[in-house]
Amino acid sequence: MEMFIQTLVSGILIGGIYALIGIGMTLIMGVMKIINLAHGQLMMVAMYITFVCHQYLGLDPYFALFIAMPCLFVLGAAIQKYLLNPLLKVDSILPENQVLMTVGIGMVLTEVMRFIFHSDYRSIETGYSSTAFYLGGISFNLPMFVAFGIALLLTLGLFLFLLKTDVGKSVRATAQNMDAAMILGINAHWITILTYGLGSALVAAAGTLLLPIYYLFPDIGGPFTLKAFVITMLGGMGSTVGAIVGGVVLGVAESLGATYIAMSLKDAVAMVIFLLVLIFLPGGLKKLTKV
Amino acid sequence: MMKKLVMTVMMIVLCALLAAPSVWARETIKVGIVLPLTGGQAAFGEIERNSFEMALAEINSAKLLGDKKLEFIFEDDTGKPEVARSAAEKLITKDQVVMLGGGYGSSETFAIAGVAQQSAIPFLVNTGSADKITEQGWDYVYRLNPAASDYPMGLETFLTEVVKPKTAAILYEDSNFGSSSSKSFETTCKRLGINVVLSENYSKGGVDFKPLLVKVKQANPDLVYMISYLMDASLLMGQSMELRITPKLFVGGAAGFTLPEFPKKAGKASENVFSATLWYQTLPYPGAMEYFNNYGKKYGKETEYHGAEAYAAAYVIADTLKRAKSLSRPDVKAALSATDMMTVFGPVKFTSYDKKINQNKLPTYLVQWIDGKLELVWPKKIASKPFIYPIDFEKTWK
Amino acid sequence: MNSRPWVLGIIGLLLLAFPFLVPSDYYRHILIISLMWVVIGSSWNLLAGYTGQVSFGHAVFFGTGAYTAGLCVTKLGISAWWGLVLGGPVALLVGLVIGWICFRLRGPYFALATIAVGEIFRLVAIAWRDFTEGMEGILIIQTYRSKVPYYYLALLLAAGCILAIHLVMRSKWGYYFVAIREDQDVAEAIGISTFRYKSLSLMISSFFTGVAGAFYMNYMAFIDPHVVFSLHDVSIMAILVGIIGGVGTLWGPPLGALVMVWLQETFRSSFFGLLPRWVSEAHVLVFGLLVIFVIRYLANGIVGDWAHIKQLIFRSKAASFSTGGDRS
Repeated sequence: MEMFIQTLVSGILIGGIYALIGIGMTLIMGVMKIINLAHGQLMMVAMYITFVCHQYLGLDPYFALFIAMPCLFVLGAAIQKYLLNPLLKVDSILPENQVLMTVGIGMVLTEVMRFIFHSDYRSIETGYSSTAFYLGGISFNLPMFVAFGIALLLTLGLFLFLLKTDVGKSVRATAQNMDAAMILGINAHWITILTYGLGSALVAAAGTLLLPIYYLFPDIGGPFTLKAFVITMLGGMGSTVGAIVGGVVLGVAESLGATYIAMSLKDAVAMVIFLLVLIFLPGGLKKLTKV
Repeated sequence: MMKKLVMTVMMIVLCALLAAPSVWARETIKVGIVLPLTGGQAAFGEIERNSFEMALAEINSAKLLGDKKLEFIFEDDTGKPEVARSAAEKLITKDQVVMLGGGYGSSETFAIAGVAQQSAIPFLVNTGSADKITEQGWDYVYRLNPAASDYPMGLETFLTEVVKPKTAAILYEDSNFGSSSSKSFETTCKRLGINVVLSENYSKGGVDFKPLLVKVKQANPDLVYMISYLMDASLLMGQSMELRITPKLFVGGAAGFTLPEFPKKAGKASENVFSATLWYQTLPYPGAMEYFNNYGKKYGKETEYHGAEAYAAAYVIADTLKRAKSLSRPDVKAALSATDMMTVFGPVKFTSYDKKINQNKLPTYLVQWIDGKLELVWPKKIASKPFIYPIDFEKTWK
Repeated sequence: MNSRPWVLGIIGLLLLAFPFLVPSDYYRHILIISLMWVVIGSSWNLLAGYTGQVSFGHAVFFGTGAYTAGLCVTKLGISAWWGLVLGGPVALLVGLVIGWICFRLRGPYFALATIAVGEIFRLVAIAWRDFTEGMEGILIIQTYRSKVPYYYLALLLAAGCILAIHLVMRSKWGYYFVAIREDQDVAEAIGISTFRYKSLSLMISSFFTGVAGAFYMNYMAFIDPHVVFSLHDVSIMAILVGIIGGVGTLWGPPLGALVMVWLQETFRSSFFGLLPRWVSEAHVLVFGLLVIFVIRYLANGIVGDWAHIKQLIFRSKAASFSTGGDRS
């Protein structure tokens, strides 16, 4: 029983980190309908920014949030403006051109970071990296717990932004129907740039919060990109609450799979769930909860 | 007119390119080294390349090969067997190297070994350690480093003489190295009468190992043996501490537990952890400590056993070429077979045992992290510090 | 290019004579790998470029073919060459099942599903040690020392694949494929069974990719799950080959394959050792930049936008090249 509860707890906690990674993706996919295959690489860039802040400026990762997020916002916005938006005007055989562009962007980001930082494994030492507190013999990792809290806060913030502000409403309108939004006088180009920037900033938060418990090297992005779209599909595209739910579901499924099936099949479990959701529940858990 | 000129120049350049190797061959002896210089394993490829270059500079300035100059041509295998094969082909047919060296990942080493055997060119492996590499009956493939199954040899006597564990859990990375080492450690356990209660693999790069470690905790073994690379090792230890898993001892079975990054990331969780290792700078081999210090001075980073393997391999290559009657492949092979020398990595002599041929047999050792420093603790007579056992984990983790 | 059969003839003759013109095993090896990618890229293109179903999971078929050949040796005790016969059909069956699952989905959802299937295959191949040998991989001994037999085999496969695709695209099926790509709903409305024709396209595509995989096993003599089921090094590489050359064109992927493999090799070896070493460390960077450049400026690849390239080179101001309608 203790084994089960511990597995569940670590699944939920890692789910918080996953949710943070997924929430940026869900925003981007919801508005632009493209799979951002550079998502993990953007997170990797944010982690390097955090690393530099910590190493050379002595900043705590939690403060580095305030540097990494704006930096990634600018980077993401620039990518959308100069690389992705122009593709809308080009007539090509495959509509997936934007997706393939993100593959190229991901490669370039990885290699540029390798040029600057080499392939060395980096990690930062904080006092609290493997600090845990215990409730009845069950361990709760502190940095993960904090990350979970911040994930909830950011989701709430994003939720309110989309629901209450004018800009947020424009984003939602664009997500529903880009052409119609433009007819209504919304500058859809600007909205897409804002969205990609926001999505990047959110994944930057994930990277920054992940760094204290994880480590860093240029090729780290790929697996997290996969996680991000699994979460997005689980939660439903464009659903902020869905991302949290999707993240937690993924985290718990992986953990239970690792404990009760095999650690080596943990990711396969996630992929099977993903396929099942894609096929039998298109639209994700959003469909069930209507949020 | 202009076009013609350009064409002519281009043709000349092309001819020069193709003809170049034969022109230079008289003054320098070329040896091809294949290492991962980009991709996920590049960090180690870099240590090895630096060590090769350091040795090369020393060899050439000491004129070990007389008037001839030794040259290493480095090729990047990017951590992919297919590319490793291209690289080996290029070195053999384009650069016309007299022998091959390097070989980091087991899969890439296989690919290179296949080419070497087919082209009948001697290949000195210095890191790729899957047992199968020297078990194919490929007589052109020589291996300086011990095979994966030999890694825990040093640990074995420690277990039988000191710890006497009854149960063991094995966690290993799902790489070629990981799965062949785990298999051989399982047979070792069987022979020693240790009951393996859990043997499970994982993919490298995981964030959360707790679901796996919960099972270890449940099984409560005397010994936890982990074949993990790099950062996985620190995460595994850190999270074991978090879950308060307290076996009699934790032993690492791969590079992850001996790197300087390990205590940096794992913090106090790294304290008193044992690791099987192939090399340690305080070993009583001539030049070992010197190599360790010089490397640190030259590159501003610490080296470890991979570097020592590469450094030793460079000297074995130089020694071979010095003794070879001519630079023809059979002569180089004969000279390599006859190698019997001392290096910073230990004595090198290629023998055949079990199913293996051309394999250098070396003792392996046990190291332990004591007060944040890696110390050689076993075999006892060459230990740099007495081992700490039994370990009170509750106290060290406070 | 079909309008100039003599160009094809000369290229064909040059390829046939290549092993005699170039004695270096190194260049032969690179061309063999290129030809293998011609097969994979062209197969991917049939499904993605012509039928509009962008697959991110071609490693599944490649790996299945390679493992079929490998398992012939380890499980059946017969020669790996049987894999060349069995690899295609086995991959085709796998393709059929995957199509049955994934063709319920469209566009990006289909792409995502194929990524998931690819990852599942890779992870299961690693975990199922009794069957696949796991990460220890399968090692065989090459049959021939010389590259020449492998070269001609690869050439035969590439030519066969291109010819087959050419014939398919000229047949009724071809028109149905393109109709599905252009608008699936319209295609369905005019009575094309989109599911059946998508499956047909996938079957041909997976068959050839599987054969290429079996060839890889025979030629490289070593496989493990990370190598043949790789998302990045096989599935995405297949896409890049198609994109760079030009999707939906017969000669695009072959050209893309040549460009990609040669480019990778020149950069990896720092222009054959002529340039400083950091150049070799930049080869993936160059890849990435090339992809960005091609998608941004040559959306239909080198072959698809050939007219565009010609104009750029000759600086003709005639603005007839296809910028297409302003979609947004």
